[in-house]
Amino acid sequence: MRHVRARPFDKLRVTLGGITGNPVAFACVLVAMALLLFVPLGHNGYLEIVFRNILMYAAMAYGWNLIGGYTGYVSFGNVTFFGVGAYCAGVLSAHGVQNLLAYVLVAMVVNAAFAALVGLPVLRLRGHYFGIATLGIGLAVADIVENLDALGASSGIHLEQADEAHFSIYYYAMWLVALGAMLATFFIARSKLGYAFVAIRENEDAAAVLGIAATRYKIIAWAISAMMTGAAGAVFAPANGFIDPSITFAIDSNVFPIAMTILGGIGTAAGPFIGAVLLAGANEVLQNAFVNSHTLFFGSMIVLIVLLLPRGLVWVFGLRGGARTWLKTLTAFRA
Amino acid sequence: MQLLAQDLVNGILAGGILAVVALGFSLVWGIMNIINLAHGAFVMLGAYATYQLTKSFGLDPFLTLPLSFVILFALGYVIQRFLINRVARAPILITFLLTFGLSLLVVNVALLIWTGDTRGVTTSYSGANFTLAGVTVPWIKLDTLLAALVITGLMHVWLTRTRTGRAIRATSMDIGAAQLTGVRVRQIYAIVFGLGAGLAGVAGTLISMSYAMTPSMGDPFLIKGFVVCVLGGLGSVQGALIGGLVYGVVEAFATQINVTIGTQSISGSGLQDAIALIVLIIVLIVRPTGIVGKAVV
Amino acid sequence: MTAAAESATVAGDAVALHIRDVGMRFGGLWALSGVSFDVPRGAVLGLIGPNGSGKTTLMNVVSGVYRPTTGEVVYGGRRIADVPTHAVCHLGIARTFQVVKPFANLTVRENVAVGAMYGRYGAKRSTRASFERAQELLEGVGLARVAERPASDLTIPDRKRLEVAKALALDPDVLLLDEVMAGLNASEVDEALELLRAVHARGVTLIVVEHLMKAIVSISTSIVVLAEGKKIAEGAPADVLSSPHVIEAYLGSRWAKRQQSLTAIERERLAAERLRADDAR
Repeated sequence: MRHVRARPFDKLRVTLGGITGNPVAFACVLVAMALLLFVPLGHNGYLEIVFRNILMYAAMAYGWNLIGGYTGYVSFGNVTFFGVGAYCAGVLSAHGVQNLLAYVLVAMVVNAAFAALVGLPVLRLRGHYFGIATLGIGLAVADIVENLDALGASSGIHLEQADEAHFSIYYYAMWLVALGAMLATFFIARSKLGYAFVAIRENEDAAAVLGIAATRYKIIAWAISAMMTGAAGAVFAPANGFIDPSITFAIDSNVFPIAMTILGGIGTAAGPFIGAVLLAGANEVLQNAFVNSHTLFFGSMIVLIVLLLPRGLVWVFGLRGGARTWLKTLTAFRA
Repeated sequence: MQLLAQDLVNGILAGGILAVVALGFSLVWGIMNIINLAHGAFVMLGAYATYQLTKSFGLDPFLTLPLSFVILFALGYVIQRFLINRVARAPILITFLLTFGLSLLVVNVALLIWTGDTRGVTTSYSGANFTLAGVTVPWIKLDTLLAALVITGLMHVWLTRTRTGRAIRATSMDIGAAQLTGVRVRQIYAIVFGLGAGLAGVAGTLISMSYAMTPSMGDPFLIKGFVVCVLGGLGSVQGALIGGLVYGVVEAFATQINVTIGTQSISGSGLQDAIALIVLIIVLIVRPTGIVGKAVV
Repeated sequence: MTAAAESATVAGDAVALHIRDVGMRFGGLWALSGVSFDVPRGAVLGLIGPNGSGKTTLMNVVSGVYRPTTGEVVYGGRRIADVPTHAVCHLGIARTFQVVKPFANLTVRENVAVGAMYGRYGAKRSTRASFERAQELLEGVGLARVAERPASDLTIPDRKRLEVAKALALDPDVLLLDEVMAGLNASEVDEALELLRAVHARGVTLIVVEHLMKAIVSISTSIVVLAEGKKIAEGAPADVLSSPHVIEAYLGSRWAKRQQSLTAIERERLAAERLRADDAR
């Protein structure tokens, strides 16, 4: 297909290779994913969990990236979809269904519908209002689940798990979910749909004048975002064996994917994965080194990321003039 | 009827505190266009400051009001000057994340210092109340409401009558023009953020007298603060007060409602966040500029 | 066969746009009242008037951004007000905006491609075809050399060109140009006029809002004058510009009275001088 490739980054705000971001970065990500296939072969349970979590966060980050990075609607409530997906699996498990694929499919359908439904009023809001409204949704859904005995209330739900020998199925499932999210993002970004999202982000009113039915596309973006996030939740639930509102609707889990996307490169196809690897990896290291106060360091990390890398690594590495240009970005937002 | 009246009174009493919470939040939002997700954490700090002061020095909690204000003001000032200011004009996402990260830091520091145990501030008159026309009014809550009204009044006077107050209002209207008249914007921003934090601290002090405290107590106040701002009207002192009182009453009534889902009945009190969200959405659809109605982006 | 000619034979209507008794009220202020005129297909209609006369408001009504308080705008048998904003371009009406804000983080070509993807014939275009169409249009407006640059890098004249290219990407029959020449110097204005003539030659009906008299006069087939929200004149450029009402609206009543005592030839000469002096300023 390809229209002519641009020269790498004239200035700060240039795009490269269309809106997928640096194609080399994405190729590297695919290679990394291929390598990750070998993790379960090492028979190290701990490592498997670590990398499975990285893949899970990657999927969630891709989900957020689509609505927040590409469409420009900064959601602070995407963890809701994760929780809903997890509870779909939980409810199915409680009714005797053991099939991972069923969990994922149901989670995706339910979340798409949920996102579309909630999106109708909420996506009319812009900027700050949308962000806080989504935060509110997360809190509200958590409240509701906590009070519903049918969903286990605050005691949660125990799920049937695969046995020791087959446990790696959860790893591979999560890998597939992450891969799916990644590829979906890449292909959307190259298609007309991706440009609709980006146009909405850049200037929603101008986009409408150019024929883009903004409401429809915003809902599509959010529904896809919900599906990615929900699928991750649906695999997490049986893998973890137990879910309750405090685990699945944790507000902090909201921020992790956002920070990862920003770190890696917001609005790119490679960014969320890169950010997930770096941040989840760092968190793992810190968790072991500073058992008591690792959340402290996590908070500091977020602050540092925001201050130093507001657009993320994929953008920074393409900048001409490297460090100097990057330094200039640091003062760009001063009052 | 009795029950309704009691709810009404409870609502108004609680609403006063919400008004103070919202006031600080609204100032920062209205003047600097920054939504401070750490506002709830500041409220929590104010509560703990009072706790510590009463525990270590035996002070009456009401006496800690000015102290709490000063401590949080200083904290807010410093944070803005050296941290927030660097992203003062950045897109929403950046300021959201920064203040959220800040919130995490503050809450975790609090966890380290005071642990996660639930604490409270009690005084000799904590349980005392009087009855008026069949409605029970706890003394502390009444005093809290009065304090809230006084503080709101003081803020209004300060913003309209003092030089700094007017400089602040000028900055919110037109930065360029304000600078031309000699207003140092960075200084103003730091003062405003400090004020926001100080007011949060004061709210925390008031809260500590009636409610239990944990390091994560700030979250619901953040959401409610936001909703009250939108409800009352952004950037105005009267808006925060009216919004707070109205929301307090609405919440008091809503928590009495029992929702039946399937075979289970859920009391409204467990659904406070859902209530907040519903109110928010209704307001934004019906009257986005809020009750007092200043133009909102 | 051009798109415009195609739909003309289908519609069989010599008039593209019917503006009937349009009124627009904001709070207590009537920005427009009782504005009526027809825009013939293939015309270049100049819309002029002093500042605040309601020209941009009228543009917003015609392009579906505002819903008129009274009256209606009818295009191809359909009322514009009934059509949601994003569907207006699918009818065949496109516009440029006075304050140009391109999609800053996209390249110039991507900006135009978005229009090609979602405009009137966008549904039939693939991504690749949209980009090819965008490249064509960029060459037509003279922006091919900066096709790969981010739109935020462009100079003002280039941004205006980009606006026009984006609007053309929608394959319109009617193009509304809102002060497209504001901020351009004399030679840039000439280039812009060339561009508009070329667009017109392809069968697009133009409605041009401008302050630049020389530009309007040189390109319009007819002119409508607004003042304080009402239409005060309509017709061929020369007639309209020498009409005492128009002169009064622009230059005040004392001048208008003086005009009435002059002969016709003297009047025209003075009017032309005035215009030249205005442009030179």
